[in-house]
Amino acid sequence: MRSLEIVEAGIQTTVQDYPGRRGMQAQGFFPAGPMDHLAHRAANLLVGNPASAATLEITLGNFHARLDAEATIATCGAWAPVTVDGSGVALWESHRVPAGAELTIGIAPETGFRFYLGVDGGFDVPLLFGSRATYTMGALGGLEGRALQQGDRLPLGEPGGNGAGRRLAQGARPEYSRQWDVRVMRGPQAAPDYLTERDLETLFGRTWPVDRNSNRTGIRLESHKFEWARQSGGIAGGHPSNILDNSYPVGAINVNGDLPVILGPDGPTAGGFVVAATVIHADFWKIGQFRPVGDTVRFREVSLEEAVEADRALDESLTDASVEAA
Amino acid sequence: VTTTVSPVIAQQPAQEGKPGITYRQAGERAVLVEYGEMVFDLALNFLVLAAKDALDEQPPDGLIETAPGFRSMLVSYDPFALTSAELLDHLQAVHDALDPERGITIPSRVVHLPVAFDDAQTRAAVERYVHSIRSDAPNAEGGTNIDYVVRYNGMRDRDELYETVLATEHWTGFIGFFPGLPFMFPLDPRDAIFVPKYNPTRTWTPEGALGIGGPCYAIYPVESAGGYQLIGRSLPIYDVRARNEVFRENPLLLRAGDRVKFHRVTEEELLQQFEEVHADTYRYRIEDETFDVGAFLEWTATVADEAEERRRRREEAAAATPVP
Repeated sequence: MRSLEIVEAGIQTTVQDYPGRRGMQAQGFFPAGPMDHLAHRAANLLVGNPASAATLEITLGNFHARLDAEATIATCGAWAPVTVDGSGVALWESHRVPAGAELTIGIAPETGFRFYLGVDGGFDVPLLFGSRATYTMGALGGLEGRALQQGDRLPLGEPGGNGAGRRLAQGARPEYSRQWDVRVMRGPQAAPDYLTERDLETLFGRTWPVDRNSNRTGIRLESHKFEWARQSGGIAGGHPSNILDNSYPVGAINVNGDLPVILGPDGPTAGGFVVAATVIHADFWKIGQFRPVGDTVRFREVSLEEAVEADRALDESLTDASVEAA
Repeated sequence: VTTTVSPVIAQQPAQEGKPGITYRQAGERAVLVEYGEMVFDLALNFLVLAAKDALDEQPPDGLIETAPGFRSMLVSYDPFALTSAELLDHLQAVHDALDPERGITIPSRVVHLPVAFDDAQTRAAVERYVHSIRSDAPNAEGGTNIDYVVRYNGMRDRDELYETVLATEHWTGFIGFFPGLPFMFPLDPRDAIFVPKYNPTRTWTPEGALGIGGPCYAIYPVESAGGYQLIGRSLPIYDVRARNEVFRENPLLLRAGDRVKFHRVTEEELLQQFEEVHADTYRYRIEDETFDVGAFLEWTATVADEAEERRRRREEAAAATPVP
């Protein structure tokens, strides 16, 4: 069986698949899966895999791996120098590489924070509860439930054939920024019962800095004293952000006391704080590219219909129609 | 000009023996269903568990999963296979067909667990919070949360808190936060206590820590962030490596509908038992039973006056205690 050996894993590299481990939220498992599902899906599309195939999620870069057999690879995500056997190769494009190839990804210098490495056949770690995704909080999935380390050897799935020279068209590629615009829907707990309409105007109107304590469990923003539509959380706890505990949607903007946190794919599945708004799936990938120091985000409210339509448009942009010959 | 648009997409009025239901859109891929009002009424949770069972038995095409809360259920769906309006119709039909609360019987195990109060690990978590996150948190004065819980509930001392924790069975209303974490509620209404959560949250909690937030108890299954006030530590309740036989079939010890009964041990005994769990020599004590909601509601009515008097005393103390 073909395999990839990790020579240098960088700050955090994990195996992820899409849409992750679903059907387990009632047991306390968020789906895990790629923090940027767009780049993950694009990498799979380019190497000829289904979107569900496992890729490597590489945080910030400083990554080095060796392939023991011929393979087709594609790297999507933030920009950094990417090399195969010392020669630069383009991102968002598939490449055929020989047995023994050395692959490196430098450190992302400017925008974006994560890379996805797709290989034809995908990374063939065991399925656990229906998914290969690494869920570090539950210490399961991926390789032994943990981030990868130097010397780890990952088996690859059945070769998918030579899918080299496929490039994602410029129009289908996402734009990265240091000032992100993210579309959200209000609620499930918003105005008029929990927050005031003015609070929502603030939430959607101001620019929020991304806190350095952000990771796959969540993106922490900045403490803000909202007005709140009620004096306290009553029996659920004194602060008006407190509610009787409930399950959270993925992408929830969860107001923890005064601190808004966007729940990531490894986030808590439930808790006792209001969810003022929810990031739509079509924009959820962006939080995977937030740099935890210096990036900012603004939220823009959309309707249910707009959210579903945006999702459809993204799905349509990630098909062979968007792939051109390199 | 912004107009107020509520995320509430529908409301179903209360029916005989069943509370009103509120449906909230939660992003384009989920609906949050809320039962009754935001009151601490365990009967709402019994209804949630019955509704989840009914929905899981007859899911509409496009339903992905259901995840309960204390008085709510998050229903996730594929918006390309099922519209929000179609899901709503289906949910309303499921709710119309449910038995009233009093007729519900729930499979329910009694799980016995040790607790060591005020142990070194949970004290370390609070001290770390004071040093690295918030030094002036009223709930962490003196490097402990226990005295704050005591004060907020108008208890005479720590022993009264410990006796309260040990006196009642705790109902596992649902599992969530992180894998296997039980949200537990005292079944004896006389032992109900309340306490605000952290503000902001803690970034580290030891495995097995026992915490209280709002009216709810939780045991932390893994080292993790957290927002509950910590009072002590119990045993592992999640082990994907299945080092103990209790985790062989399922890495989660507890499930919704379980009742947890705590008994007090010393910190030395607890650490010893932690090792025995990992060595597969500790045996968790679990009894299979069922839970009759009607009988429970009849019994709680007989202690309602006493519970109400204690509740009033606790509320007075709470009103005079700062919130984090």
